[in-house]
Amino acid sequence: MNGKNSVISSRVEALYRDYGKRAKELKDEGKTLIGYVCSFVPVEMISAAGCIPFRIRGDINEPVTKGDTVLETIVCPFIRSCFDLALKGKYDFLSGIVIPHGCDSMTRSYSTWSYSLDLPYAYFLNIPSVVKPASFEFFAEEIKTYKKTLEAFIGHEITEADISQAIKLHNAYRNKIRTIYDFRKSDPPMVSGVEISKILTVGTSLPVEEANALLDEIIEELKTRSEPPLKTGKRILVDGACVDHAGLVKLIEESGASVVAETTCNGMRDTFPLTDEQEDPFTGLARRYLDKINCPKTYRENRAGSFEGNIADRFGDIGRYAEHFHADGAILYVYKYCDPFGFEVPARKAYYNAIDLPLLWIEDLYSSGTMGQIKTRIQAFLEMIEQ
Amino acid sequence: MADYFAGIDIGSTMTKVVILGDEIIATVIGPTGVEQRRLANKVMEEALSRAGIPFEDITYIVSTGYGRINVPFADKQVTEISCHAKGVSRLVPAARTVIDIGGQDSKAIRIDANGRTKDFVMNDKCAAGSGRFVEIIADCLGVPLQEMGTVSLKSKNPASISSICTIWAQQEVTAGQAKGRPIPDLVAGVHRSLADRVVRMARRIPLEKEIVLTGGGAKNAGLVAAVSHMLQTALLVPEEPLITGALGAASLGRNMVEKAIKKGISLETKKRVLDVVQIL
Repeated sequence: MNGKNSVISSRVEALYRDYGKRAKELKDEGKTLIGYVCSFVPVEMISAAGCIPFRIRGDINEPVTKGDTVLETIVCPFIRSCFDLALKGKYDFLSGIVIPHGCDSMTRSYSTWSYSLDLPYAYFLNIPSVVKPASFEFFAEEIKTYKKTLEAFIGHEITEADISQAIKLHNAYRNKIRTIYDFRKSDPPMVSGVEISKILTVGTSLPVEEANALLDEIIEELKTRSEPPLKTGKRILVDGACVDHAGLVKLIEESGASVVAETTCNGMRDTFPLTDEQEDPFTGLARRYLDKINCPKTYRENRAGSFEGNIADRFGDIGRYAEHFHADGAILYVYKYCDPFGFEVPARKAYYNAIDLPLLWIEDLYSSGTMGQIKTRIQAFLEMIEQ
Repeated sequence: MADYFAGIDIGSTMTKVVILGDEIIATVIGPTGVEQRRLANKVMEEALSRAGIPFEDITYIVSTGYGRINVPFADKQVTEISCHAKGVSRLVPAARTVIDIGGQDSKAIRIDANGRTKDFVMNDKCAAGSGRFVEIIADCLGVPLQEMGTVSLKSKNPASISSICTIWAQQEVTAGQAKGRPIPDLVAGVHRSLADRVVRMARRIPLEKEIVLTGGGAKNAGLVAAVSHMLQTALLVPEEPLITGALGAASLGRNMVEKAIKKGISLETKKRVLDVVQIL
């Protein structure tokens, strides 16, 4: 079912094209929306506060203009694009923002965000960059402080029951995303990478209950889908930072391949790990965000004692996902000036080499203008793995 | 009747056609210009007339290069990476690395004994790693482009050009001229600078011998010497380094047809006419 009744080609498409459409309506209905960037913001707390977490995205088709008057170009192009849109009023429905210590570009631009947007609520979330026993204790305390600031903002208490309920809802969201990913396992996949990219982007722009209902409809639609959206082609895993636009994936799929997994900030890195519902909510959240989200910004000690063991330890999840979704090759897509990923490129390349998965590394700007330039490289890479 | 295959490589600066029978039957090289589609027809016509065969005798046509989508009569498009790999392997079977310095980009490709790509790197965002760099400096010094190589080889003391931007390097050259540095030293410095950038990019893939240099850059003896000096190894340059992409395209076309015959399927081909193309 790809016609008029398709949730994916109508509702998801509309929410993707006019990002924030639903948020504007909710704001008009009197709801409070809090914007965030990065996978490291415990969105559960925002939901528990009765507010709506809204993931701020950039726009590859919109040149950064206003934003560059206050942020230097050493800030990564993704964060600059997000900030530029916020400054131009695209996210005027937000009442607050939360920015975590996710990378240098976020940390060092936080003050600019907070004074330029001047929102009633702004919080810088101090997530540790090292995973050690003390880090968990620290971060659980930090989550409590974050909760207190939200309480002060909304004017009432957030109970443990509220948090537990929010954890359940967000876990349910993640489980539904996994169910959608299951439709990729067939060859050709029954859901395209472009569709998943849009679903992932749209999903974090809605209240979690609404997102869950939308995902249920999508799952029903996929169950009855009879024709795969793409022809059989090479199966590609996309690895990298936040790819909240379908541009790159579209380019890959137009070249005859299928994107079957994405270890990106808005992909599996964020949507696959769950919060332990049995644990005390602060410990559970601290563990999920600090340890289970496998981001290069987090330093993990070399427990293996060797380089080979270390890269297997740090990137083992990529290999497992690649195997699970039968990937034939990977594209590591890194933005220029991205400090966490940029520093890690050689180690990641070594890992792909170790697991014998062909890799294309692309360094790019967050702009549709460069898509043509990288097209030849993607096509050459596909020709290489097809021969 | 022998089977004929054509490869057409539309680069940023030059358009190349190779017609392949058992051997190369004809090659044509012409400037790309702004009207790519019209020129594709013209060079194809010229190649057919040199080969002395009618258009309909061409079994399969593969286009490549950055203008590969602008060839209305091509049956298939393949990237220049795969085509250079194949073309070089055909000319130099011992080749394991191809370094191509083109008009607007440069690339390095690791290949196997069958001319298949194993890995590649490409520089396509900056003119400083391409032939355009030499063109701009030639223009600025008033040295004809085709003499740049020989002029540079006269230098005993190459100037050091440290800028990694074409425009700033041009300023450095102008400043050197003002200080009275001999032109050969400046030209040699420019070649070293370009070679340095190309080699730094190429070293991202393991460089295995034999290393073959292709593209317009391979026609410049000064640049070949500079790259060879930096890699501390001899380089091989095909007799006509511009045609490896087109040759590879034709050769891959032959492989595709042979594969299709084996599988018992027929490949779709375009009508063998060179229509007058309207440029909008």
